[in-house]
Amino acid sequence: MAEGSRPAEVRVPAPQGLTIDATLVAQGLLNGVLFGGVFSLMAVGLTLIFGVMRVVNFAHGDMMVWGMYLAWLMATRAGLDPYLGFVVCAAALFGLGFAVQRTLVQRIVDAPHEMQILLMLGVALVLENTALLVFGPEPQRVRSALAQSTVWLGPLFVDVARLIAFGVAALLAALLWLFLFRTDLGRSIRAAADNAYGALVIGTDVRRVYAVAFGVGAACVGAAGALVSPLLPFQPPTGLQLSVASFNIVIIGGMGSLVGAFVGGVLVAVAESLGAVFLRPSLKELVSFSLLVLILLFRPAGIFGRRAP
Amino acid sequence: MTQHALTRRTFLTTTVGGAALVAAPRVLRAQPKSFKIAAVHPVTGPLAEPGQACRLGAQLAVEAVNAAGGVKGKGGLQVELLTGDTQSKPENGRLESERLVNQGAQMLMGSFDSGSTAAMVSVAQQKRVPFLIDIAAADPITANVAKAVKDGQQKLQYVYRNFPTGSSFGRKAVQYFTEIFAEAKLTPKRVVLMYCNDLFGVNQSRGFLAAYKAAKPAWTLLEDDVIPWPEPPSDLSTEVSKLKALRPDVIAPITRPASAQLLLPEIRKQRVEYLGIVGPGSPGLYEAGQIAALKDDLEYVMASNPWPNFRNPKTQRLAEDYQKRSNGRLFDTNSGYSYDAIFIIADVLERAAKLDDPDAIVEALQKTHYTGGLMQYGGPIHFNEVGDNPNAIPTMIQVLKSKPVAVWPKEAALQKFVFPRPKA
Repeated sequence: MAEGSRPAEVRVPAPQGLTIDATLVAQGLLNGVLFGGVFSLMAVGLTLIFGVMRVVNFAHGDMMVWGMYLAWLMATRAGLDPYLGFVVCAAALFGLGFAVQRTLVQRIVDAPHEMQILLMLGVALVLENTALLVFGPEPQRVRSALAQSTVWLGPLFVDVARLIAFGVAALLAALLWLFLFRTDLGRSIRAAADNAYGALVIGTDVRRVYAVAFGVGAACVGAAGALVSPLLPFQPPTGLQLSVASFNIVIIGGMGSLVGAFVGGVLVAVAESLGAVFLRPSLKELVSFSLLVLILLFRPAGIFGRRAP
Repeated sequence: MTQHALTRRTFLTTTVGGAALVAAPRVLRAQPKSFKIAAVHPVTGPLAEPGQACRLGAQLAVEAVNAAGGVKGKGGLQVELLTGDTQSKPENGRLESERLVNQGAQMLMGSFDSGSTAAMVSVAQQKRVPFLIDIAAADPITANVAKAVKDGQQKLQYVYRNFPTGSSFGRKAVQYFTEIFAEAKLTPKRVVLMYCNDLFGVNQSRGFLAAYKAAKPAWTLLEDDVIPWPEPPSDLSTEVSKLKALRPDVIAPITRPASAQLLLPEIRKQRVEYLGIVGPGSPGLYEAGQIAALKDDLEYVMASNPWPNFRNPKTQRLAEDYQKRSNGRLFDTNSGYSYDAIFIIADVLERAAKLDDPDAIVEALQKTHYTGGLMQYGGPIHFNEVGDNPNAIPTMIQVLKSKPVAVWPKEAALQKFVFPRPKA
């Protein structure tokens, strides 16, 4: 068989008497890291929006689901592979994010958090139910020729779809970093995030900067949606699950920290993957949420977060 | 300060008017124009697809009952459906049924998932509204009420179910597994059970494990190595790696539609070798949408599921009608059991001594002996001491050439099963 020879099995005290061999652990680690890339890109969008506007985007997961549906539409109607179509999804979601910020979010940027939450939950409901009306309730999955293949490295297998998703997500995160740190617009966004009033005083169009930042955040999650669409079946209510996962990652990584979101994404995915290896798989989410509790107890600002002055 | 004196005239108009208002609903109740049934299903949320199928099945049945002259024994009384949506949230089962009962619903039916069905039970028992469960498998739903009545805590059982229970699913699945393996002259030594870890999945897996222990069949289920996953999952690669490490002969998955879409491609990608995938009973392994999404990954997959009796010409005609009304969807478990539920209710109304007394309806329910069901039953529909229909049984279906077909038991089979699956 192509998988090569199996290494000697090591019996460790595992639940249910299952033999946990080194291959299983290595495979879990690999799957977790690769899947974490997409989790990271999803969380990067959320942390950017929060970092700049201090608005928690509760519609984040639903925006991702729209990215997935757009990828599905392009794949089924135009035959465009989601690994190319993600650019279109990102652009479309940028437009959506920009419009949502300009028409709705801008009005509540300075409002109390509970008002912001209500508005964003409203946006989430509208996005979810529009998807239900337009696309129906059945779970969908995008078929990509690339998502069908696997590469074997000895006993370990690498899912090509995950590998590409990880690679593109890492590339996009790097491009986002360059945009924020090496372009004037990016610097304006960071300036507005640091001190909106100060940015306004030196002539920055803060309203525009906010809309662009929201658009970029939405574009990130739109691209993440397209990249994950061949891996993860989705239906309109999937958004809530994705939003919760994003919040978990962002809080672990540090609210508002891009590096934190990226590291947090990989950490959460690896924690769940290894949790499934060592515990009953149904308890794997316990591992990632326990991580969240530990972080909140011992480092409330998150791994890369800055403490509030 | 001026005081308004209460005159005789004011007193009379107020009291007469008030009395008329209070009496009005009774007058309406005494002369019903239609019999209102509350049909509560998850029409939005993650379970929207099966929930919408249930609702459409019930609506088609109501149209059919009314078109055939309504409840003839009650002067051609028409049946009216009041629809409710749980949004796939268990707690809404109670809220929605209360709302519809307040709108005049005289019977409840629903609600597809065990969580919200359990929540509806309290409304049925407290408000004395007879409740026919069309779909929900968890055993305790009816068993708890039957026990409360037996122990004298409650006077009467208002909850009845025309659907296989988790334990009967388990018993039938083990029986079908045994018969199919024997027919194929194989004795699998490593059958691996995988399941979604929600109320439904846990109940189904317990039923299957208990039935396996009781039956002690020749084939071997790896009882200590079951693989549960949190539902809905975002990734099942590690679960499948674990499955592969167990070197399964047969994979027995209890899925939901979304988890089946993750599980089956992952099994292919990781090149797990096995003789067959045989589900002990769950959604996700046979629906038209699933076949379209999973294509070859579903080919030869078997599942022990409640299934329409397509040998019945009535079922075939209805299936065609259903397909037209649902944009090409298949008439299956969900639409079928909801359809049958309305006809059972119509039969009960026909026989009930009076319809304004819920206890009289319950009496008629308990005496049900209905043979007109379109699903595959093991005998006439009737309700046992717990309130369940022991003749509600699953059929083993298999996806062959991208179509789900009944393959076992022999009397229900339309085609011979393919097991083990041919090697690619």
